[in-house]
Amino acid sequence: MIISVKNLVKRYGNLVALDHLSFDVEEGEILGLLGPNGSGKTTAINCILSLLKYDKGEIRIFGRPMRPDAYDIKRDIGVIMQNVAVFDELTVYENINYFCGLYIPEKEKRKRLVEEAIDFVGLNDFRRFYPKKLSGGLLRRLNIACGIAHKPKLILLDEPTVAVDPQSRNNILEGIQRLNREGATIVYTSHYMEEVEQICSRIIILDKGKVIANGTKEELKNMISLGEKITVETSAIHPEHLAALRRIPGADSVEYANGLLVVKSGKSKNNLENVLDFLKKQQIGYGRIYSELPTLNDVFLEITGKELRD
Amino acid sequence: MFFHIFTNRLKCLLRDRMMIFWTLLFPILLAVFFNMSLRNIASSETFRPVPAAVVNDAGYQKNAGFRSALKSVSEGKDKIFSLTETTRKNAERLLEDGKIAGYLTVGDKIKIVVNRSDFDQSIIKSFVDSYLQTSSAAESILKANPPARSGLSAGLSGETDYLKAVSGGSADPDPSLNYFYSLIAMACLYGGFWGMKEVMDIQANQSRRAARVNLAPVRKLKTFLSGMAASLAIAFAEMLVLLAFLRFALNLNFGPKAGLVIFTSFVGSVVGLSFGAFLSSLVKAGENMKVGILISGTMFCSFLSGMMYQDMKYIVEKNAPVLGYLNPVNLLTDSFYCLYYYDTYGRYLLNIGLLGAFVLLFCAGTYFVIRREKYASL
Ligand SMILES: Nc1ncnc2c1ncn2[C@@H]1O[C@H](COP(=O)(O)OP(=O)(O)OP(=O)(O)O)[C@@H](O)[C@H]1O
Ligand SMILES: [Mg+2]
Repeated sequence: MIISVKNLVKRYGNLVALDHLSFDVEEGEILGLLGPNGSGKTTAINCILSLLKYDKGEIRIFGRPMRPDAYDIKRDIGVIMQNVAVFDELTVYENINYFCGLYIPEKEKRKRLVEEAIDFVGLNDFRRFYPKKLSGGLLRRLNIACGIAHKPKLILLDEPTVAVDPQSRNNILEGIQRLNREGATIVYTSHYMEEVEQICSRIIILDKGKVIANGTKEELKNMISLGEKITVETSAIHPEHLAALRRIPGADSVEYANGLLVVKSGKSKNNLENVLDFLKKQQIGYGRIYSELPTLNDVFLEITGKELRD
Repeated sequence: MFFHIFTNRLKCLLRDRMMIFWTLLFPILLAVFFNMSLRNIASSETFRPVPAAVVNDAGYQKNAGFRSALKSVSEGKDKIFSLTETTRKNAERLLEDGKIAGYLTVGDKIKIVVNRSDFDQSIIKSFVDSYLQTSSAAESILKANPPARSGLSAGLSGETDYLKAVSGGSADPDPSLNYFYSLIAMACLYGGFWGMKEVMDIQANQSRRAARVNLAPVRKLKTFLSGMAASLAIAFAEMLVLLAFLRFALNLNFGPKAGLVIFTSFVGSVVGLSFGAFLSSLVKAGENMKVGILISGTMFCSFLSGMMYQDMKYIVEKNAPVLGYLNPVNLLTDSFYCLYYYDTYGRYLLNIGLLGAFVLLFCAGTYFVIRREKYASL
């Protein structure tokens, strides 16, 4: 086991940010910590790293208790903070070299690693740039390079893609998967369910400092009753149509608002055909029509009664 | 590891323009400004002897040593006093009319009578002080070691010794020097900017960079001290630049003890650095707040030690001497002053000792904040 968190409690004054949080991270996985804003993701990461004092709980990394002076543990950890943390007075190259040097004293080895990190994030053309001159996406990449240049065995990333354009985001996500393939265990926090679905081998959903679900994305989606969601763009739905639709077997919920008809049904109840038949029979005109499998948002919605993102 | 952190800190610090402005350019600009306005004053009146009187009575006549000492500094081109020997009554009247800065009476003790306290009065006082210092030191040696008498009395009767003590060895008394001394002292304290930055870059709850540095497998104190070493190197180098500028560009004469002047600036840099670090550990508010406190605090201390208005130093000395001892800028100013005006080191060492105490206090305070490695909130 790479990380073990047991019964972690962290309060900020009266606010309970982490409420008996427990979870493990296994070697080689990409664990996603998914949760809405304020659910305690950053707090959890900072507690794990021994930056924050916590009220209760036990944290072990690589099987050993984590403490601020556990340097042998820290040596193998790479962290990418939620907020860009680099020196404005140092260039791209110097920043990576500085942070890498805190882990790798040997000059030759360090030089090689810094070059690799620059290649990895694709900042070769910008090595002499000061952070102030970098765009948001490039800055994020620098932030990542500073965290991983020393080739850590465990990498924690706290929302590394916030405010990054889609292309840079894909670069970053691919990079993370590459690091994982090269052997690093990854903890990835985000409130973007798409990202988490895309790269994580296991997902923990957090809400109000508690684990509310834990498993692969298939497992999570199986936890809930929703099986399929059909959306129809149409402007000609009357209340009697709705009543009729609700009589379709397995249609658990039928709603109509803003020109969108949404029919939700339980698992393995393929209702798309039934809905289409109905529309044809009633001669209701429609635009696009699509059927979706449940998302992590639906999982979150069903467990907590609220949207993951609002 | 030390070297890695040290060199990178040097880069970081030297590229911070705001810091360089406050710690180097600002003092130099201020010095140029002082120089211009003081040269204007100096050209209209060069050093003016202090008008003083001495009560010419039996006590005065009896104390030949003092009499000849006083006379020797009241004669010639470089005289310190324009002296009137007169009766007590007349002296009182002269003082009341503002014709003299003060008068002396010589009885069992030498007394100084002045109306207010400013630069002129303090010259009278420091003359008497140094006379007493030299002569009483002589007396105590005489009692303990009679054979030394012949050598000593030669030294005493050759008034040159305390003459020197007052007029600063080979240097002429230059009242404008005090402005520059407090300016140097101020620049030392502005070295606090560096200490402030070091703390912000090591305390995870003060900056994101610091949080990242805290995650590295390096002892926090080691990182901090390596950075402080870089800061000290820069702060002291800046002091050397400032001193060189004052000496060679503005032609300021620091007197014969150049080595000690440099040493005192080094002590000043350490004081400034530890002061900034201490301030930065205490005040968690943002950088602007810290900079504000550092600048206004230093400016206030400099004001009290006479940087804007020279007599301020003497006003504080007279009305609230404790304040003088609690003001690091004043202690530094006074140290430079002692080096220039006194041949003896008692007062200088006292100042340096007090500054050392300040450094200890600041360092201890900083250490107690720095050594914490986990934070309640980031
Ligand atoms: N320094 C702090 N002082 C007081 N409360 C805090 C502090 N930091 C976080 N909190 C609170 O603790 C809770 C958890 O915050 P945290 O930053 O860990 O959430 P998060 O999941 O990382 O959110 P986000 O997605 O916005 O980054 C929030 O309610 C937040 O308001
Ligand atoms: Mg967060």
